[in-house]
Amino acid sequence: MFKLEEILNILSMLILISAFILVANKRVNSYIKTFRLQSMLLAAAAGTLGIYHMAAERKFDSAIIMCLLIILLKVIFIPGMLNRICKRVEYKVEKDFFINIPISIIICCGLAILVWYVISLIPDIKGAYEIMFLTNSISLVMIGLFFMISRKKAIGQIIGFLVIENGMFMAALLTTFGMPMIVEIGIFFDVLAAVLIMGVFVFRINESFDSIDIDKLRNLRG
Amino acid sequence: MFQGIVKIVVQLIITAALAPLVSGIIKKLKARVQHRKGASVFQGYFDLLKLFKKDVVVSHNASWIFTATPYIYFVSILAASLFVPAIPQLFSFGFIGDAVLVVYLIAIGRFFMALSGMDTGSTFTGMGSSREMMISALIEPSMMLVLFTVGLNPLVGSLSFQAIYKGFAAPGWGFVSPSYLLLLISMLIIVIAETARIPVDDPSTHLELTMVHEAMLLEYSGRHLALMEISASIKQLLLITVICNVFIPFGSNAGVIQALGLYVLKVLVISGVIAVIEINSVKLRLFSVPNHAALAFILAVLGFMSSFVFGR
Amino acid sequence: MPLDDIALFSGYEYIFAALLILYLSGALLSLLVCRSQKGSNAVANVAAAAASLTGIIFCVCKLLIYNGRSFDINLKTGIYPISISFHIDNLSAFFVLVISLLAFVASIYSMGYLKHYYNSRNIGVFGFLYNLFIASMIMVVTSGNIFFFLVAWEIMSMVSYFLVVFENEKPETQRAGTIYIIMTHIGTAFIIAAFVLIYQYTGSASFAEINASGIPYAVKNVIFIFSLIGFGTKAGIIPLHIWLPKAHPAAPGNISALMSGVMIKTAAYGIIRIVFDILGGGYLWWGTAILLLGGISAIVGIAFAFMEIDIKKLLAYSSVENMGIIFIGIGLSSIACSNGNTVLAVFSLTASLLHIFNHSVFKGLLFLGAGSVHYSTGTRNMERLGGLIRKMPYTAMFFLAGALSISALPPFNGFVSEWAIYQALFASAGTGGSWMKIIIIVTAALLAIAGVLAAASFIKTFGTAFLALPRTSAAEEAKEAPRTMLAGMGILAALCLAAGIFPVHLLKLLDGINREMLNASIFQGAAGYSSLVLHSYEGNTSISPAALAIIGLLLIPAVLLAVRYMSKNSSFRNYGTWDCGYRRLDSRMQYTATGFSKPVRIVFRAFYRPQRELQIERGSSRYFFKRARYKVSTVSVFEKYLYEPIVRSVVNFARRMRLLIQTGSIHTYLIYIFVVVIAMLIYYARA
Repeated sequence: MFKLEEILNILSMLILISAFILVANKRVNSYIKTFRLQSMLLAAAAGTLGIYHMAAERKFDSAIIMCLLIILLKVIFIPGMLNRICKRVEYKVEKDFFINIPISIIICCGLAILVWYVISLIPDIKGAYEIMFLTNSISLVMIGLFFMISRKKAIGQIIGFLVIENGMFMAALLTTFGMPMIVEIGIFFDVLAAVLIMGVFVFRINESFDSIDIDKLRNLRG
Repeated sequence: MFQGIVKIVVQLIITAALAPLVSGIIKKLKARVQHRKGASVFQGYFDLLKLFKKDVVVSHNASWIFTATPYIYFVSILAASLFVPAIPQLFSFGFIGDAVLVVYLIAIGRFFMALSGMDTGSTFTGMGSSREMMISALIEPSMMLVLFTVGLNPLVGSLSFQAIYKGFAAPGWGFVSPSYLLLLISMLIIVIAETARIPVDDPSTHLELTMVHEAMLLEYSGRHLALMEISASIKQLLLITVICNVFIPFGSNAGVIQALGLYVLKVLVISGVIAVIEINSVKLRLFSVPNHAALAFILAVLGFMSSFVFGR
Repeated sequence: MPLDDIALFSGYEYIFAALLILYLSGALLSLLVCRSQKGSNAVANVAAAAASLTGIIFCVCKLLIYNGRSFDINLKTGIYPISISFHIDNLSAFFVLVISLLAFVASIYSMGYLKHYYNSRNIGVFGFLYNLFIASMIMVVTSGNIFFFLVAWEIMSMVSYFLVVFENEKPETQRAGTIYIIMTHIGTAFIIAAFVLIYQYTGSASFAEINASGIPYAVKNVIFIFSLIGFGTKAGIIPLHIWLPKAHPAAPGNISALMSGVMIKTAAYGIIRIVFDILGGGYLWWGTAILLLGGISAIVGIAFAFMEIDIKKLLAYSSVENMGIIFIGIGLSSIACSNGNTVLAVFSLTASLLHIFNHSVFKGLLFLGAGSVHYSTGTRNMERLGGLIRKMPYTAMFFLAGALSISALPPFNGFVSEWAIYQALFASAGTGGSWMKIIIIVTAALLAIAGVLAAASFIKTFGTAFLALPRTSAAEEAKEAPRTMLAGMGILAALCLAAGIFPVHLLKLLDGINREMLNASIFQGAAGYSSLVLHSYEGNTSISPAALAIIGLLLIPAVLLAVRYMSKNSSFRNYGTWDCGYRRLDSRMQYTATGFSKPVRIVFRAFYRPQRELQIERGSSRYFFKRARYKVSTVSVFEKYLYEPIVRSVVNFARRMRLLIQTGSIHTYLIYIFVVVIAMLIYYARA
């Protein structure tokens, strides 16, 4: 048997890598695919955690429910919805970036290093795994944020937002083995609502400006 | 108990009997100074009697307020006069009431008079009400200041007229001070304004430009007018009584007859002073009245300051 | 207190709980049956009336019998230190009494008043808000815990906002609501700050347990200033009053009666609670500040009131004046407290509490009267009314009773409390130093002007709205209000007279508060206290409204008889008003409300800054006008010179900032977040 921490470590690294893949992408379709992959990895992490705990304590663990919820929402529902949106709007490929992709990736590496450095300075966090988990998940948050900044099309912002949320969830899952069930469910529905609203906004932006380029929103300013 | 009721009755009779006389005396004095013969000093009584016998004409537009006002005014002024008796001996029932009550009892009359001015729908009476309220808004603070200053005097320490009378009744001239003279002048201005005399108002004309108090009475006739007239003269007597007993207090703690005699004398003197002021001044433009009132206010403030602030 | 009393006493808490539940069930039921307008109306008002009647009985019993103890109800919520806890001492009970009294009357009144909302508005929602509003006010004055107080306070503010904007289709109502909600939240912010400071320095959230002795001097001052601003906003103290004359007239009649009659009194409750109960009386400058603010509010409030031609606006401004008078009393009490003169403090506090009661009664009455006028004629503009005394005789009579009370004319109740305030001023002037004497004398002079202007304002209102000829067809076709509305007003009018003639009985109710706040009784100074004579401080003067009433009752018949005897041969004739020989006097020739206030406007033009506008449309000849339109307006100096500059500078700042920071690009905003997160990470790394 593998040690639980090792499996989780590998999964968290894979999740981080999926974030890098996301940054390197410029096709809207592959954004969604990468996000789906990332969510699957996250679900796997939650599932592994739940199974290990159940095996150890011989009682039902709420991490399994989390795993199912992630699969339901972030692997099936949200990416499906985003796909539908993408079919409605015509923009498939990001053409102009604020920062080109190689430099983006370098910046993301820098972010990861900065996060690792900061985490390692916190005296209360001991143990290589914990530092690793936290670094990975907070890097994920930072990369999500950076992704939102670097993409001009509204879909990019939605994906970035979801990545941030994944990062938060991962941090909670891997360091404290899950927040209280009620909080998690609350966050899930928040995210769901946010994505639905943003989806509607994308349609509206597309209708009003003939583009989902959020730079055009500047015109709304009074 | 019996004694108290007797005192109340005596006071009411003195007030009601003396009030028209004071108005008559002022008119007579004015006439004499102006080298006219003038009507008899008792003309006020004759007028009243005549008015009571005359028919009453009430406007179609008027409501019960208009008819009730003369009675309310008269009763409230009579009640007020109970708290400012002619001589200290006439305080009955350890008397329950003070300067603030007197001010507000006078205000009842003013309130209803102004309302009745609004009641008939006449332009003139409404104008009278409006001006009356302006003038009293200007005069009232001075009145309150004078009363407070008098009451705060270490001899008194209370706002009740009984205490004020008693505090100043001690023999001698101890009460005279710069503060006192300032307050006396202020009080004279207040009395002139409150009784609608020249230079604030002219009681003897119905000219539109000068109309304040008389304007409000324009629609009244017969017994209603009689009641209004007598109430106005009682109010005048009441304010003069305040001056007599507060500002010229000597002799008020003598025997009853002596004190009453002195009281009548003092009332005559003050009526004379008012008549002289009235003869020697002209009616002010309505919007010069504020200056006049401001003078009263400043004098009252100075009076207060000189007795309680500067001296310390 | 004997032991068996204590045993009885536990039942009382259930009564209190029952009355709150009655309000809440009235609220919910009225929503449930909102399909039927009549049903909603009946349910809401009957529940409120029953609850408030319970409240009246509960409080009278509490104040008269159980005034040595306080009731406590505690419900834990699991979130420390917030708990639903009620603490009913005498002060709370007094305010509950005032609220219940007016709520009872307003509920009776509402049964008729709500009819004119039928088919145009949802009565169920109104009933819901109405009951919730009363319940929230009761919760404010009975909460035993600063956090629960804030919750109740906020419910009260929000519900009253919804009631203010109940007639929400009018733009001025929306504007009034907006100003109200902004001002009230500014106030709430200060209250929260004050309470948090108290909690931080005492470690206790329960009113009964807070011990302020550990709070440093400077912090106490800050708490005082914050609560003065916070509660002063609710009280409508100048210059924080601007919401009041807008919001109160905008609300429906019964609600404005409750708002002006009791809601603003919760601010007085807050001030008394903080200054006397929690902070123990305070320092000299606190009282002086309250006194001066009160004096300024009294004079400025009534000065604005006199210029208004909208009846409810005039009443609202007059509430500012009366809150000023209440604050004068509180200020004097605090001054006396800081000088260690407990007897005077008791007297002043009593005067102020008396005025709180009296004002709620007569202002409630006047607002209900104004509501009736609006109900019958559809307008609140007195220039469009007139002659209502013939169409609505009872409303007119009750309104007159209210006007006499608010003008402080004996034997009505306004006089008693005003007299007491004057006596408190006089006594404080007698005991204070030179500066205090000057301040107090100036306040007394201000109060005197305010008194006359108040009388003038109500002469104007009554004279133009109710007397003489009707000015419009709406006034001509007015009908008397329904019986329930008259009953509501009648109760209050009777109470005005009763409280004016027998004030000492009221003092007995109040006295428990003095013993609780200041450990002294108003009755201990004067010996031989009769229940018909009201004594001043140290008994140095006294009035007896009852004796006065007797004198009046004896004199009036005597005078009537005498006059009848003297003029027995004269006749009585009705004829037209003297019209200078013209054919007929018509309603347009009457003196108007604007004209009535003109002399004062001219005399105090430096303050009012009147502006006039005359438009003349000439016909064929230049000597004959076709139409003339005269418009006069006064400037509300506080809005123009205080609020407008503030609002303008805030808006300008925001505009500049928007150009600078708020670019409209989402990316920029994201970069802000990103930069902040990075900065925080780096900051954390350095530390």
